[in-house]
Amino acid sequence: MLQCIFLLSDSGEVMLEKQLTGHRVDRSICAWFWEHAISQADSFKALPVIASPTHYLFQIVREGITFLACTQVEMPPLMGIEFLCRVADVLTDYLGGLNEDLIKDNFVIVYELLDEMIDNGFPLTTEPNILREMIAPPNIVSKVLSVVTGNSSNVSNTLPGATASCVPWRTTDLKHTSNEVYVDLVEEMDAIINRDGVLVKCEIYGEVQVNSQLSGLPDLTLSFANPSILNDVRFHPCVRFRPWESHQILSFVPPDGQFKLMSYRVKNLKTTPIYVKPQLNSDSGTCRIHVLVGIRNDPGKTIDSVAVEFQLPPCVLSADLTSNHGTINILANKTCSWSIGRIPKDKAPSMSGALVLEPGLERLNVYPTFQVGFRIMGVALSGLRIDKLDLKNLPNRPYKGFRALTRAGEYEVRS
Amino acid sequence: MFTQFGATAETLSKASTMMFRIGTDAHLYDDPEDANIPPLLDSKFDSEKCEALKRLLALIAQGFDVSNFFPQVVKNVASQSLEVKKLVYLYLLHYAERRPNEALLSINYFQKDLGDPNPLVRAWALRAMAGIRLHAIAPLVLVAVGKCARDPSVYVRKCAANALPKLHDLRLEEETTAIEEIVGILLNDNSPGVVGAAAAAFSVVCPDNLPLIGRNYRRLCETLPDVEEWGQIVLTDILLRYLIARHGLVKESIMISSCATDGSQSEHDGSETNFELKENTCNKGTRDYEPGLAEMVTSSYLEGPEKYLSRSGHADRGSLGLDFSCFTSAESNHDMKILLQCTSPLLWSHNSAVVLAAAGVHWIMAPRKDVQKIVKPLLFVLRSSNASKYVVLCNIQVFAKAMPHLFAPYFEEFFVCSSDPYQMKALKLEILSSIATDSSISVIFQEFQDYVRDPDRRFAADTVAAIGLCARQLPKVANMCLEGLLALIGQESLNGDIQSVDGGAVVLVQALISVREIINLDPPSHEKVIIQLVRSLELIKVPAARAMVIWMVGEYSTIGHIIPRMLPTVLKYLAWCFTSEALESKLQILNTAVKVLIRAKGEDMWTFIRISNYILKLAKCDMNYDVRDRARALMKLLSCYVGSSDLEEDAKVLPGNNDLQPTVAVFFFRGQTKPLPESINYRFYLPGSLSQMVLHAAPGYEPLPDPCSLNHISNDAQAIKDSSSDTSGSSDEESTSNYSSQGSSSGVGEESGSVIESDDTVDPLIHVSDVSNACIDQNEGSQQSSAHSRSDDFGELMSKKALDSWLDEHPGQNLSEGSHVLRSSARISIGDISGKVKLKSHTLLDPVIGNGLSVHYTFSSEISSVSRLLVCVEVSFKNCSMEPMSKLLLLAEETSRGLDSAEQALATSESSVTSHKDMPTLVPMEEIDSLDPGQTIKRTLQVRFHHHLLSLKLVLWCNGNKYPVKLRPDIGYFVKPLPMDIKLFTSKESQLPGMFEYTRSCNFVDHIRELKDEKSERALVKDKFLVICESLALKMLSNANLFLVSVDMPVASNLDDASGLRLRFSSEIQSSSIVCLITVTVAGNCSEPLTATVKVNCEETVFGLNLLNRIVNFLAEPVPTDDDS
Repeated sequence: MLQCIFLLSDSGEVMLEKQLTGHRVDRSICAWFWEHAISQADSFKALPVIASPTHYLFQIVREGITFLACTQVEMPPLMGIEFLCRVADVLTDYLGGLNEDLIKDNFVIVYELLDEMIDNGFPLTTEPNILREMIAPPNIVSKVLSVVTGNSSNVSNTLPGATASCVPWRTTDLKHTSNEVYVDLVEEMDAIINRDGVLVKCEIYGEVQVNSQLSGLPDLTLSFANPSILNDVRFHPCVRFRPWESHQILSFVPPDGQFKLMSYRVKNLKTTPIYVKPQLNSDSGTCRIHVLVGIRNDPGKTIDSVAVEFQLPPCVLSADLTSNHGTINILANKTCSWSIGRIPKDKAPSMSGALVLEPGLERLNVYPTFQVGFRIMGVALSGLRIDKLDLKNLPNRPYKGFRALTRAGEYEVRS
Repeated sequence: MFTQFGATAETLSKASTMMFRIGTDAHLYDDPEDANIPPLLDSKFDSEKCEALKRLLALIAQGFDVSNFFPQVVKNVASQSLEVKKLVYLYLLHYAERRPNEALLSINYFQKDLGDPNPLVRAWALRAMAGIRLHAIAPLVLVAVGKCARDPSVYVRKCAANALPKLHDLRLEEETTAIEEIVGILLNDNSPGVVGAAAAAFSVVCPDNLPLIGRNYRRLCETLPDVEEWGQIVLTDILLRYLIARHGLVKESIMISSCATDGSQSEHDGSETNFELKENTCNKGTRDYEPGLAEMVTSSYLEGPEKYLSRSGHADRGSLGLDFSCFTSAESNHDMKILLQCTSPLLWSHNSAVVLAAAGVHWIMAPRKDVQKIVKPLLFVLRSSNASKYVVLCNIQVFAKAMPHLFAPYFEEFFVCSSDPYQMKALKLEILSSIATDSSISVIFQEFQDYVRDPDRRFAADTVAAIGLCARQLPKVANMCLEGLLALIGQESLNGDIQSVDGGAVVLVQALISVREIINLDPPSHEKVIIQLVRSLELIKVPAARAMVIWMVGEYSTIGHIIPRMLPTVLKYLAWCFTSEALESKLQILNTAVKVLIRAKGEDMWTFIRISNYILKLAKCDMNYDVRDRARALMKLLSCYVGSSDLEEDAKVLPGNNDLQPTVAVFFFRGQTKPLPESINYRFYLPGSLSQMVLHAAPGYEPLPDPCSLNHISNDAQAIKDSSSDTSGSSDEESTSNYSSQGSSSGVGEESGSVIESDDTVDPLIHVSDVSNACIDQNEGSQQSSAHSRSDDFGELMSKKALDSWLDEHPGQNLSEGSHVLRSSARISIGDISGKVKLKSHTLLDPVIGNGLSVHYTFSSEISSVSRLLVCVEVSFKNCSMEPMSKLLLLAEETSRGLDSAEQALATSESSVTSHKDMPTLVPMEEIDSLDPGQTIKRTLQVRFHHHLLSLKLVLWCNGNKYPVKLRPDIGYFVKPLPMDIKLFTSKESQLPGMFEYTRSCNFVDHIRELKDEKSERALVKDKFLVICESLALKMLSNANLFLVSVDMPVASNLDDASGLRLRFSSEIQSSSIVCLITVTVAGNCSEPLTATVKVNCEETVFGLNLLNRIVNFLAEPVPTDDDS
């Protein structure tokens, strides 16, 4: 069971501590942690489970904020990590983002949330919808109210009805004036293209995101036209397993508001919408670099936010890069980003330039990997199609909306 | 600020964040001490209270200690505003452990809140009350939890389940059964939410009480998919443990490998290493799975890797000692089937921890053909957050090692992304190399070639190592790997200069290590490779890499036809560049020269001798002593081959040595290294456990239970209860026996240290008052007479003070009284023990701090004549220094400065109640003019404590110096004896029932020493009961100002059983004259540590609880050593 949770800012300052059990954890553990984090740089920050001399630490880093949880006894490490992720999600949701100032400004809410989310080191209420009913998120109205009257309570006086019902994620007596439900397919394409230009791996990670504004206790059924292409799935707890097992139908009572109904994976795609062709030739201390970007397989909708990013190898002293389209930025940590935006119809964007190598080094011996970003609205590249959405138990006909979006996930081109 | 709005977007966003901060609690966090907190806390308005509490919370968040506000904050528990309540709870729970006694002040409010109609209020009250974790209120909490466990609100029941581990933390041995009973009730709950929390409580409170699960097994399985995600994780683990304990392992699962693979059965009979070798060489193409590893996994899961590995020295490492009776079949066993069925949907959970937990169950329990099921979900988890990705990869690594074929088709999943952190890349490489098959290796190999060019050289080096590993596991691709590696070496060695700078040489060195390992498998077939490496020697500049190639020259000098012919040239080259080499290369050159020399034959011999001689001479004059030493040793060893003429002469003189030295040399250098079978020294812990991540058993890690250890379960609840109480009982006994051994040993030690004369001077007078039991009467009679005679003997030694003390007048009274009060017990009256009462002395000022002035104080039983609020303290000043001291005076601190704000507040609040506002803290003490070295002066101080727990700050003046000191109150002296008889006592007791009565138990060991004393000194028959009574009474009276009302002794029991012995004390609270009754009941065997149950009846709840705590504390305390006195 978790004993303590610390929130650290990106400079290592302890912003918050919440002791969870009787066995208090001293703050000095954070000093130890930060010392190691600095001395071992990134590799330490990436370790989610750390055995310190006195405690086992779980850490996740979100937007520069380190969430640190301590325990001294055996417990499933993923439980600790998942919980911290959940805390980070809920805080992001409540505060409208996550950074040092936001947490400090709303520390009381953070404390109240943590107190509701975990009791004696074991998660208590983690469902965002219920938390929202117990502790009101800060909004403009409450802020203004607190300024004007000097008094605001964000703690609810009653227990959310959902805690008593058999669908713990939904309050029973919801009323919306306009009944609407939106279903979004949000897909991310992961691809690896090796240095020979061969597509080594290409798959889609997708999410079915639902935004439901429905009154009462509706029962929804969502079916796909081609569920067989799904390689693997994960569900929100509200999804019933049986209908999926037998007919690949999603049957559920939705939580109120935005939630992730399902995530899925479609593997072994054969092609990608755009191509990125890097070429590097090095000779006598300099390296010519040339990157070509273009549309390979037109998805029928515009591809925008195209960007290419790569890390200059450490042996490169300086770089001089130009492009015929878009802008190039080289950051201090040798990250080079080329943002293209939309690919023009008439020409293929290209970037070229020279890299000056360290003296004594004739040729480049290590090669950068190019990360590609893009976004296509209106298309689910996996080819997954929603067949229909049935709603039962509703007083009047709701509005149903569907959207799709594909963007690049871990899309890598090696050189 | 407004001018900024016209500026760039960045400043605009900055400005907008400024706007956002308005109305938040930003100002509270930034400057929490901006306002004066105490008046805000006492404010009438909730909003001001809120602000004060938020400021305190901000201070806590920033790591300041604000526990001094505790009393004021606690008062606000009574607030009706839920927000204030919540904030108070947050504060309270943060400090409760540190300020336990003040936390008690809030208990009454919690109890009130527990009856609130709003379930949220009930739940919060329960959470806060249980969170305070005080022994004193544990019984109250237990009652509350029991009540809340039957609450109509699901949320409250859930909180009740969560409160159980908090209670368990307090280690209430006597309450274990009650707690487990509540766990049982909650596990049986209709709501899945409660079941999840109950499962969590179960795993903390009584993880071994598996029969409890057995009762509900089916139902638990069925509710599993509906339970909350966190509960699912815990419940899955519990159900798995139960199944294994109940039915044993599944025969078709991978856990039982030996009976499954028919082919490998015979191999298994042989030794482990032999088997591994075969495995390595012949079976690689279609690696179905690795039975050796799988078996190791099994035993590690069952008994923990530490035990397993420690057993590894034995021959029967592999055999688990499992007989076939503990196996069951998944097809036929319904329980197994149900669990597997119910955990399958969990593999689709969006919580990666649930997926892993479910996968763990299938991994251990599912038939081998169904384990496949877990692969895809596990791989899908890899697409979640980076942190969970790493944990899942660690677990997949184990799965993949034991069953490579499971993951072999999915090798693409483990291709490295450039965004992965280094640890993850390394893990992926390791998994890739263990699941590579003949069909997939070419694709994997191509990937590896990309990785080698990665800018992260550490990762590139790991890749090279992985290539070597693949080559060894799949001999068919060894040549391909070798070619790639050689190309890499050629390429890398070109960049040698640069790489040595930025640490990139690791790749080259690792490449050579990999090559060497591949060559080692079959040296003769790799002759060309060796030649190629030797030829590139000039190019390779990294010392470690050079040393490795030089080593190869020596090692493989006899292979094939070409190498021996090259040797003279190579050696000459080495000799030529010897002086410019780095240390490790020099050492290798020496070794190589010797190796070549020993193996040399024919005409080359002389060339080699000359070269070696040259090298050795160079080495003898080297700057480095390692090189010089080795050169000398080698020269001596090789005196038959090398050396100058004088050495040869030596050899002739000592022909005996002549044979020996070459033999030794040959022994050292001739033997070619055989490829060592890789020892499998992995540690396996249960999948998904913390221990698996840190690779050592974390505290609290439990391997799986022994299969079928839970063979007979009766559904009869009674039987279960019995067994559970049995187990708790036995554990109790264990702990107590531990105690007794400690106690007795310390007793013996003291005994030898000092002989207590005074103990014998006051012998007890025994009066058995109950005449209804003749047996006891006779028994005691003899003792009585002997006791009488002894008391006569020592009568004149009794002090006058003892005689007229308050105890003395009661034996007679008891005699007349006792005959008609109780039938079943005899009343003993102990003689005067007041002379033996030893008041405990506390240190006020340590001589180290006080420049040689040592001040001690004892609470005296005197009652102040001035006011009933005053407590008398006897302070003794002792001068331990060499100089005389003067002007010693103790003053209250407030005369010099105001009290601490918190105490002030408390003081005022309390004094207003008692309306003694004008009472000073300290009745002025008579000043001590001078104190000579070694002199001790005693003064009696009359002190008014503001609270029976808060210590009082005083100032001690000495020689004009000021020492701040703290006088700690002893609640035992806030009461005064209230003489009464047993009749009155019982009637008063009956008026204070229910919530005015508090009970706690502790161990009592004082009497053991006394009993030992008796045995060792002489055979004087002293009644054991009497010793116990006496030591108990003595202990009580030395630590609190009480009146001993009566001592009751059980009659019916046998001689050694002290159970039922009861002492009654009465007192009244000095300040308020409220009666306070104390009853101590003893249970247990005379000569062993006794369990003393203390009961306090008092109208004032908090005082009574604190007094009870104090009594239990000092009763359980071991006897103070006599050196103090």
